[in-house]
Amino acid sequence: MPKNPYLNVLAYAIIAVIFIAIASYGLGRLARLISKKMGASSRKQDSTFSGYFFAAPWIIGFLIFVIVPLGYSLYWSFTDYRITANVPINLVGFENYARLILNDTGFRSSIVNTLFLTAVGLPCMIAAALFLAVLLNQKTHGERVFRMAFYLPVILGFNTAVLLCWRLMLNTGTGIINQLIRAISNAFPPFSYLVRGVIFIQELVSGFFLGLNSGRFSLLTRVWEAGFPAANRVPLWVESPLWTKMSVVLLMVWGCGAMMLIFLAGLNNVPRELHDAAEVDGANSWQHFWKITFPLLTPYVFYNLVVGLIAFLQIFEPIYVLYRDNQPLVSSATSMVYYLWQASFRNFQIGYGSAISWLILLLILALTAIQFATQRRWVNYELY
Amino acid sequence: MRTTWAISKRIVLYIFLTGSTIVMCFPLFWMISSSLKTLQETNSPGIMLLPKHPTLEAYIAIFQNSDFLRSYFNTIFYTTLALLGTLASVALVAYAFSRITWPGRNVVFFLMLSTMMIPPQALLVPQYVFFNKFHWIGTFNPIVIPGFFAGGAAMIFLLRQSMAQIPFELDESAFIDGASHLQVFWEIVLPLVKAPLAIVATFLFVGFWNSLLAPLIYLQTVSLYTLPVYVSTLYNINSSVQQWPTIMTAAVLTTVPLMLVFFIAQRYILEGVIITGLKG
Repeated sequence: MPKNPYLNVLAYAIIAVIFIAIASYGLGRLARLISKKMGASSRKQDSTFSGYFFAAPWIIGFLIFVIVPLGYSLYWSFTDYRITANVPINLVGFENYARLILNDTGFRSSIVNTLFLTAVGLPCMIAAALFLAVLLNQKTHGERVFRMAFYLPVILGFNTAVLLCWRLMLNTGTGIINQLIRAISNAFPPFSYLVRGVIFIQELVSGFFLGLNSGRFSLLTRVWEAGFPAANRVPLWVESPLWTKMSVVLLMVWGCGAMMLIFLAGLNNVPRELHDAAEVDGANSWQHFWKITFPLLTPYVFYNLVVGLIAFLQIFEPIYVLYRDNQPLVSSATSMVYYLWQASFRNFQIGYGSAISWLILLLILALTAIQFATQRRWVNYELY
Repeated sequence: MRTTWAISKRIVLYIFLTGSTIVMCFPLFWMISSSLKTLQETNSPGIMLLPKHPTLEAYIAIFQNSDFLRSYFNTIFYTTLALLGTLASVALVAYAFSRITWPGRNVVFFLMLSTMMIPPQALLVPQYVFFNKFHWIGTFNPIVIPGFFAGGAAMIFLLRQSMAQIPFELDESAFIDGASHLQVFWEIVLPLVKAPLAIVATFLFVGFWNSLLAPLIYLQTVSLYTLPVYVSTLYNINSSVQQWPTIMTAAVLTTVPLMLVFFIAQRYILEGVIITGLKG
């Protein structure tokens, strides 16, 4: 460890800047030389030099921090490399991948958990964002304040501090959310039935997916046998394996402000004439929304789906802050990235971790490719 | 008849808007309120929106906690340094992609966009091994230096879109006067993209300030911890009683800079993204 960490990083920052300047100049000169060899005009040579000179920081960074690491991790994923052990690296072929896919129940359940989070959370998040955007689009007084309030959670985001505040609010017994649910249920009994209905359905669905993870459906049958929840039941947010993922969904939906901004941009682009024409035909607001606005918004829905999917598949912070080391709860919430962190940086199995990284990468690429392949069926680009 | 209908619709709209605002801001309110409560009050059942006996005890205690203060300083220090380096390099690269025509530009640009698909976590393992070889574990280098190499494809893209909208006549006349690309970049292009720069700076700031995974892996010693890592250690997962007032005080102090930056930049973000982020 360096004596003064602050001076140390400052020194390295200066070295990095000098390195980038020299390397950029070198890359620019090289590009100019090549374009000269290919017989370009001197003006074109100049712009080739400048282009590569300015783009060089990214090109160099891409090589050092993306291409080389990806190459090495691909190689390591076929080895039994462990960072702590002073033993030579052995090639083990596809053993890591085979173990991950066939035998590792922890990894399998982390995939199921992450996909469950995505399948439940992403539609909720998009619906919430769309709802808020439509509300804001009505041109009200104080629109700016509302906009700020809706966007604020995006800035606070997944900061540990904010996550811990949610942890406090989600306490089963004393947390404010359950207190409010109890208070409203007492004052207004139909609300209690609604809450208990939601609890029942949620626990059945979660129980089913937890069963998929472990292969044993004992939790599901227990929920089913317990029947419709009793009058004083409240959600067991961060206490029951049935609810751990729902807490994360809640957090994600809370941060829907970025998607909301995208939808607002889309709503601004819907031509007024279409609504005027529908007005003449006597359409009600429900028809206005689903027949005119929503089809024109589908490109924006698609954008949010693509970006949101990647965000969901990379969830780490909430799992780490809320459930880390909380046995046996953590296994019901483990996400793919959390599992990666655990294998690589707790157990220092670099070979195994590399294989996990590659599987996550391939899964994200595959799901995104599927989204792009199916977009023609429902995304409406007529306006654009 | 028509007007009463319109008015009642308006009222419902405002009720929904206000309700959503309360829901979205509630965690923040709860954080502040809890930081002023006593330990008994945070752990007691019943709805207590405001503390009955407001106390600044937790604030006084945390300002005497040297670990917390140092992690605060660490966060400011590393965020500033990483932000400066990233912002400068991102602006340079965005200039190359928008204002200069060079062979291979489209290929490199496409490559850059495709890196957005690579989850940063997939690179974490090999990068850790490299930084370990450099003996950079336990220093700030791994969380600061990579940014200097124009980290953040989305940010480059955002800046490129706005730089591309500046009329090219401006540079042409400057070049005739004998200006270099660096001069045009600094004197003509940058002043015209102040708003997008502010947005990118805000996003980068928020990203660095909130970052948990990389600091957690690379810093390793308490004396280097950044706020997210330090605050997460305040919450003891296996204990049944948490020091909620202390945790919430740390949380409030952690979010203050975020709020400040957001209030300064919200004008650009809430309108600017709509103009520059998607269109173009």
